[in-house]
Amino acid sequence: MEEKIIGGMGGAGICGIISICICVVFFTSTFLWAFSLKKNYLNHMEDLPLDGGEKNSKDKNQPTKL
Amino acid sequence: MNTNIETFKYDNRIVRAFAIATVVWGIVGMLVGLLAAVELFFPGANLNFQFITFGRIRPLHTNAVIFAFVGNGMFMGIYYSLQRLCKARMFSDFISWFHFWGWQSIIVAAAVTLPMGLTTSKEYAELEWPIKIAIAIVWVAFAVNLFGTIVKRREKHMYVAIWFYIATVVTVAVLHITNSMTMPAGWFKSYSMYAGVQDALVQWWYGHNAVAFFLTTPYLGLMYYFLPKAANRPIFSYRLSIIHFWALIFLYIWAGPHHLLYTALPDWAQSLGMVFSLMLIAPSWGGMLNGLLTLRGVWDKVRQDPVLKFMVVAVTAYGMATLEGPVMAIKTVNSLSHYTDWTIAHAHGGALGWNGFLTFSMLYYLFPRLYKTNLWSTKLANYHFWLGLLGMMFYIIPIYVAGITEGLMWKQFNKDGFLQYPNFLETIIQVVPMFRLRAIGGMLYILGVLMMAYNLYRTAKAGKFESDTEAQAAPLEKTPAVAHGKLSWHRMLEGKPMFFTVLAIVSILVGGLVEIIPMFLVRENVPTIASVHPYTPLEVLGRDIYIREGCLGCHSQMIRPFRSETERYGEYSKAGEFIYDHPFLWGSERKGPDLAREGGKYPAAWHYNHMDDPRSVSPGSIMPRYSWLLTQNLETDTLPWKLSALRRIGVPYPAGYENGPAQKDLQEQAEKVVADLKLGGVNTDPNKEIIALIGYLQRLGTDIKSAPVTTAAK
Repeated sequence: MEEKIIGGMGGAGICGIISICICVVFFTSTFLWAFSLKKNYLNHMEDLPLDGGEKNSKDKNQPTKL
Repeated sequence: MNTNIETFKYDNRIVRAFAIATVVWGIVGMLVGLLAAVELFFPGANLNFQFITFGRIRPLHTNAVIFAFVGNGMFMGIYYSLQRLCKARMFSDFISWFHFWGWQSIIVAAAVTLPMGLTTSKEYAELEWPIKIAIAIVWVAFAVNLFGTIVKRREKHMYVAIWFYIATVVTVAVLHITNSMTMPAGWFKSYSMYAGVQDALVQWWYGHNAVAFFLTTPYLGLMYYFLPKAANRPIFSYRLSIIHFWALIFLYIWAGPHHLLYTALPDWAQSLGMVFSLMLIAPSWGGMLNGLLTLRGVWDKVRQDPVLKFMVVAVTAYGMATLEGPVMAIKTVNSLSHYTDWTIAHAHGGALGWNGFLTFSMLYYLFPRLYKTNLWSTKLANYHFWLGLLGMMFYIIPIYVAGITEGLMWKQFNKDGFLQYPNFLETIIQVVPMFRLRAIGGMLYILGVLMMAYNLYRTAKAGKFESDTEAQAAPLEKTPAVAHGKLSWHRMLEGKPMFFTVLAIVSILVGGLVEIIPMFLVRENVPTIASVHPYTPLEVLGRDIYIREGCLGCHSQMIRPFRSETERYGEYSKAGEFIYDHPFLWGSERKGPDLAREGGKYPAAWHYNHMDDPRSVSPGSIMPRYSWLLTQNLETDTLPWKLSALRRIGVPYPAGYENGPAQKDLQEQAEKVVADLKLGGVNTDPNKEIIALIGYLQRLGTDIKSAPVTTAAK
């Protein structure tokens, strides 16, 4: 049935089926991977841009003239 | 745990150099765009000066804003953020400066060669082969500097922004090399190795992904760094950023064929392009929401801080453009939007909003920090914001109206079943007022940029430049510590940059290979037509003039299989008609009619007069004059190189044809054109450029007019 649906997609044929299969596998793996990550690791990664290691960093209190 | 704290310095001079280049080239590129916009409603704006005609400066504008403005902006942001995310100075100061001066030299080379008409004609890849080689060398230097810095980093983990930078570096290299396969025919002339349909697929695989990996992924990396910095709070969801990254780089590469819907490209490739374009909405909007939700709780700051203001509009424009793009990739929508100004509006929504505003926000963020002072005038920055936003609206909205008007008028039939607007010119005259409004919008946008340049200059004058920022961090331990529990596969992966890079390359290659390999290997994709034969020597030279003048910037050569198109232009285009087209010249927009079946439509004298003064034969036409073609002599010395180069890439000219017989054939055909012109009351020499161009135009589409169509496997 899948072949019938995708095959009707303007001559997609076997190429379309293979492409969709590759995508399903890729996305499933990515989601599983992302959701298996530990919270403390994610917290550490989120904080990385905020700590540039600079001495006398002004980034925590930005010198914006309002 | 390592307790040895190292003190080191971040290089700010290279960041400042790229920042200045961003502002300077931004102004130049936008002014060239403004001139091009004015020429669309005032064709005499080039003062009959061939080097600044629309066809020649349009690629100059696109190259300047993409590679000079956004390119330098990208390098500015990457050189600043990469050092801080890696807690390391750039790998090599020498390479940094080689990269900087190499890139600026390439921009200057483009600014000289494109107005001279030295172009490959392939959109966003117009630069000729010696400059392409220089781009490859400079890009490799950038890659070495980037990976060198990552390798010597003091931070164990690679933040997601670095992933986007890595994907950019490797994918742009792959795209550039694949699409630059050309056969030189002189120092500044080359022919694409691919022909016709295959060339079109490779070009738009490149063109689409140049947008993806030059204008999008590096800027997403910059968003993931600068937005949390400016808001002073972490990104909304790091988990979402991981999905965003892998889904985006995997999907983007498949969507290229949506630029070729309803063309002679095989159906299966078009369908893949459409489906994958729709799927792109998910990761793109994931990224946009991740950016906007980072601001939860600090929206009051957005009202006051110009940096955040520009960022919010930039991220919103990214979301709008990445929703609109997939919608335009739906075949039904595309049948209306393609070749119209809708595409131009879409492109500028992304360029002015996403790239432009994010670049401005980074500049407003960086200058006070580099010069250790406050921004000279927040008020002026706010004026810039509103002027830029207004300029964008004035630019985009009229062009949307123009695009939809064009699409509808081209397709409109009257009650008797004939085209309502059979003369293409009627449809253009209708939208000329929109072109005027668009130029006003562009002017406002540029005015805002000039205000920013002044503001940044005064900020720099008021402060003291800090060429090196001192920083401290512990060196990276040789063996990975298990700081957060069990070492996961993901953390191992992003701890190994080279392995990570290989995975990223595999992700981007899958889509490209699935599309491109069948196109080259399956014969049925390009059925040949027995009556299609190579261009004659005169037509080859005429075609090169067509390329030099950038005619394909306004004229397509691809009739889609719609009744509205076949009624207007003739039989729809077949893949087999283009097998000797190195490069393909299908074009991507129509400011003038399609020329695929132009041959024999008008007498030679009509073309002569039309080139001399288009309004003398088509009152109201917006085409510029090409009177220099009537006086300049045709360059025939290069013909042997050209024919020989074309034969090497598969055009079946007989061996030795270029040494004598070709010149004789050229003279004979030129004399015929001169005789045709005489019939129309025009007397001219056979050695003028106009003769070759007329020879080429009169050939277009005649192969399948002159003989019955027969298809056979190649």
